[in-house]
Amino acid sequence: MIKVTINGKEIELEKPVTVLEAARSAGIKIPTLCYHEQLEKYGGCRLCLVEVEKIPRLQTACTLMVTDGMVVRTETPQIADVRRGILEFLLINHPLDCPYCDKAGECELQDLVEKYGPAKGRYKEKKRKAPESLEDPVFVRNMERCVMCTRCVRMCDGVQGASAIAIINRGGHSHMEPFSGGKYDCEYCGNCVSVCPVGAIMSRLHRHSYRPWQVKEKTETICPYCGVGCTVIAQVRDDSIKRVIPKIGSSVNNGMLCSRGRFGYEFVGSSERLTSPMIKKNGVLEQATWEEAISLTAKRLGEIKNKYGGPSIAGIASPRCTNEDNYVFQKFMRVALGTNNIDSTARTGYAGTQKFIENIFGQGATANIISGLSNSDSVLVIGGDPTAINPILGLQIRACSRKGGNILAIGHIKGLEKFNPVTVSPRFYTETLLLEGIVSALKNKKGLPGSIPALEAKIKDISTSAKEVENGCGIAEKDFIRFTDTLSESLTPSIVLGKDIAQSSGGSYKLMLISAINYLMNARIYLLSERANEQGVLDMGCAPDLLPGYRPLSFAEFRKRYENAWKSPISEKPGLSIFEMVDSAKSNALKALYIMGENPVFNLPNSKAVKAALKNVEFIVVQDIFLTETGKLADVVFPALSWAEKEGTFTNMERRIQRLRKAVNREGMEDWRIISEVAKNMGVKLDYSGAEEIFQEISRISPLHRDLTYEEIGKGGAIYPYKGEPLRGVMEDIQMHKGSSVNPDGKLYLRLERPLFHSGTLSTKAPALVKIYPEAVARVSPAVGEALSLKSGDMARVSTRTGSLELPVNIDNKLDNLSVMLTNNFEDKGAFSLMEYTIDPVTKAPVIDANEVKLEKVLA
Amino acid sequence: MLNEAAVKELNEIRQKYPNARAALLPALYIAQREFGHLSPEAYEAVSEILGVPKAIARGVATFYVMYKHKPMGRNIVQLCTNVSCMILGAEKLVDFLKNKHGLEPGGTTSDGRFSMVIMECIGACGTAPAMLVNDDFYENLTEKYIEEILGKYK
Ligand code: SF4
Ligand code: SF4
Ligand code: SF4
Ligand code: FES
Ligand code: FES
Repeated sequence: MIKVTINGKEIELEKPVTVLEAARSAGIKIPTLCYHEQLEKYGGCRLCLVEVEKIPRLQTACTLMVTDGMVVRTETPQIADVRRGILEFLLINHPLDCPYCDKAGECELQDLVEKYGPAKGRYKEKKRKAPESLEDPVFVRNMERCVMCTRCVRMCDGVQGASAIAIINRGGHSHMEPFSGGKYDCEYCGNCVSVCPVGAIMSRLHRHSYRPWQVKEKTETICPYCGVGCTVIAQVRDDSIKRVIPKIGSSVNNGMLCSRGRFGYEFVGSSERLTSPMIKKNGVLEQATWEEAISLTAKRLGEIKNKYGGPSIAGIASPRCTNEDNYVFQKFMRVALGTNNIDSTARTGYAGTQKFIENIFGQGATANIISGLSNSDSVLVIGGDPTAINPILGLQIRACSRKGGNILAIGHIKGLEKFNPVTVSPRFYTETLLLEGIVSALKNKKGLPGSIPALEAKIKDISTSAKEVENGCGIAEKDFIRFTDTLSESLTPSIVLGKDIAQSSGGSYKLMLISAINYLMNARIYLLSERANEQGVLDMGCAPDLLPGYRPLSFAEFRKRYENAWKSPISEKPGLSIFEMVDSAKSNALKALYIMGENPVFNLPNSKAVKAALKNVEFIVVQDIFLTETGKLADVVFPALSWAEKEGTFTNMERRIQRLRKAVNREGMEDWRIISEVAKNMGVKLDYSGAEEIFQEISRISPLHRDLTYEEIGKGGAIYPYKGEPLRGVMEDIQMHKGSSVNPDGKLYLRLERPLFHSGTLSTKAPALVKIYPEAVARVSPAVGEALSLKSGDMARVSTRTGSLELPVNIDNKLDNLSVMLTNNFEDKGAFSLMEYTIDPVTKAPVIDANEVKLEKVLA
Repeated sequence: MLNEAAVKELNEIRQKYPNARAALLPALYIAQREFGHLSPEAYEAVSEILGVPKAIARGVATFYVMYKHKPMGRNIVQLCTNVSCMILGAEKLVDFLKNKHGLEPGGTTSDGRFSMVIMECIGACGTAPAMLVNDDFYENLTEKYIEEILGKYK
């Protein structure tokens, strides 16, 4: 126990902290400027100076650690004098343009000067001049206002890990700059803006559009983009979101956001939003009333059900919609339409991967707390760049490295390259051999634990030597040994697994090998998740083989339970997966398709073929916020409310259930309400007063969500397995598929780029993200570019068996010589329009890694 | 791009320091030598080899005035005008260089042969005025002596 006296108050402390922290814990305020709780201590501004007995000079409270018996005074005439003097110094160069500055009202300098500062400075010299920089599309930099606290730099370098900005020059000339001196070349997380105490770096999105004190509504909700599920605060004025900021202390992201979460909100107010229902008449979508659209939908679905039976109808749910939307959706499909044909784009990798791994290790094996990653002593990364796909999770991996942990990367992971990864990059299509090598090495070093015989049976068959890895994968034996040694010496390892594995040839076999590594290392495994409610969509039973609560449809006992609750029979026949729906449409067996918040014509590989297949379907309903490629094919289109306009819950990749709260008002209906109206018109009662009532039903009948309430979720306590029970002991036989081998020599392959700045097509409706990453580009290595004399910016034709696109080329130094990378985000320019797939028979995920591509220069 | 020898040199320097950031100053000198001045490409090369982010490298370099932050002539005249040198006529030498050779403080001759930087005390007060041309040291300067010295540099 450490005892200190601050301003005469005795404070007892368990462990040594700084004087500042000790004072704050006792409610004593000490002014600070360079200190920030998220950042490493700096001691630069000197505002926090305090008097400490037996130390002759004033000390900085933010850096000085308490010692037993220390006596501190924080308010004396001398200290007041010093503070006034420091503030006067800061104002020598400060422009004092508060009336014009967006920060006024929440500016720390303004507050400090108001409280401690001199009314008037005595310096007569000319102030430093630096024109406000508007060279960047997202940030405005005003270096006249900079107080040199270095908070932005410590954020970018020490926490975000992007190290894109620095203090340049010396003395009175120093200020903060990105490398180019103008435009940023960075991750655009905006976390530097969050911590800047003054108006020196600000976001251009809300420039001069409001004052901090004019914000009436501050809604705490969840980011709509990825499966991390960051808490965001939407600041609203006049029913429009002005700014989205993080919350310090929130459990998942603790004061941090990524570019999508911070700058991607503008789609909400987009003028392209759907405003009215539409009905297709003579091949053209025309505006219709809600009544018309609802009754037509009900009528047509009823007719089709009667004529062809429930299994001729299918539904696609949405990993962007809430649990409540998805629950009602699957209930509607099962009860009103009598079919298990329900699926979502979680099928493109996440669902199958999770099922595969949890079949071996038990339900919940992939539900791990994201912040735990930074406490691992090693993180093995495979199948995607976490810093782009799930950026806030990526930060935890960077933090792990900073704390001395090892990053083990299979393949080059761009966002981690500055974090001393131990990398092994196998040649194309030899990843399997490498994984076999790792499993063999671990088996020899660690032995078999003996707890999962089915997996051990598979592991016993594997024996691949370092030499074989060297010959097959092109990884030097010593590098391979260094990799496996580092891994095997780890005591608290984690594995971060991206979708590229499930989407590659032999995906399920690779998953078995990764499971084996997980098993031999006793590791924790994290599945990257690209959509905010990808987990929730599965938990709600929006899958052909699952009922709510992630319960297998094949278990009669669960079916019975839901049949009783819903007072309706449930077909025991598993439904069609999303890809089987496409096949069924192709063969004309599928007669109706109900799509909620999804765009399969763009978001499924071989999108052209998907489009052709869907054209065969008699009746298509689409609920969405924009008129998507899929919406254009629909017979009825309903405008839905967006993420910001409704209540509900999302379940993130940790399986933490979190509350979405309405930030702005808009006329219209939530997805679930539209469905419930259609049901009503079909004579099926699916009535709820609001999202909360739906959740009450879920928590009543889903064994997993038992007794959960909105109130509890709001407090942040809804962490897996909640109060419910995960399913244990249902291991099925481990099945896997080795895939076919490919000899890539001399060919180019089209690969999917998963960019940091985009997510589906949603982000392309957010102007700021489009400014950061404006268009689809074909990314190739310098050697590939050179062979065709292509420079960055030149146009190239990218062709595969399914078509071709003309795209600007971007030369990427870090790329291999076999790949052409392309995103699937920009309308008419999606990689999926050029990709064919096969289906992994075990995970049911699409395999897209064998699309040969031709690249030609297009002459201007 | 850096040539192989320079890359090797940089890697060797890296080995002498406990971490990459500590190796920045000597590494930047090498890059400056190879690229002529600390251009964006020079920072990128250092960043690539040391693994230090380029923005950080630039932040460090701009603290120091003795790096070349812009393109400069083939030879650099660093003339001291601090107290001792000033008293012994350094400012006249500045005028001389300007009038005779068109070489102004911070400037470069039109033929690109010389650039000039004004220095603050280079530790030769006892034999002032003094200057450096590239890495060579000259003291007790006079106009005539300067003429002679400059003639050695092409
Ligand atoms: S936006 Fe993020 S990455 Fe860019 S400079 Fe700021 S902190 Fe660094
Ligand atoms: S820009 Fe802001 S955060 Fe960065 S040093 Fe200046 S005042 Fe501090
Ligand atoms: S990491 Fe994911 S959830 Fe968090 S802000 Fe970024 S996109 Fe949103
Ligand atoms: S807050 Fe302590 S020195 Fe700045
Ligand atoms: S004053 Fe010129 S060398 Fe010291």
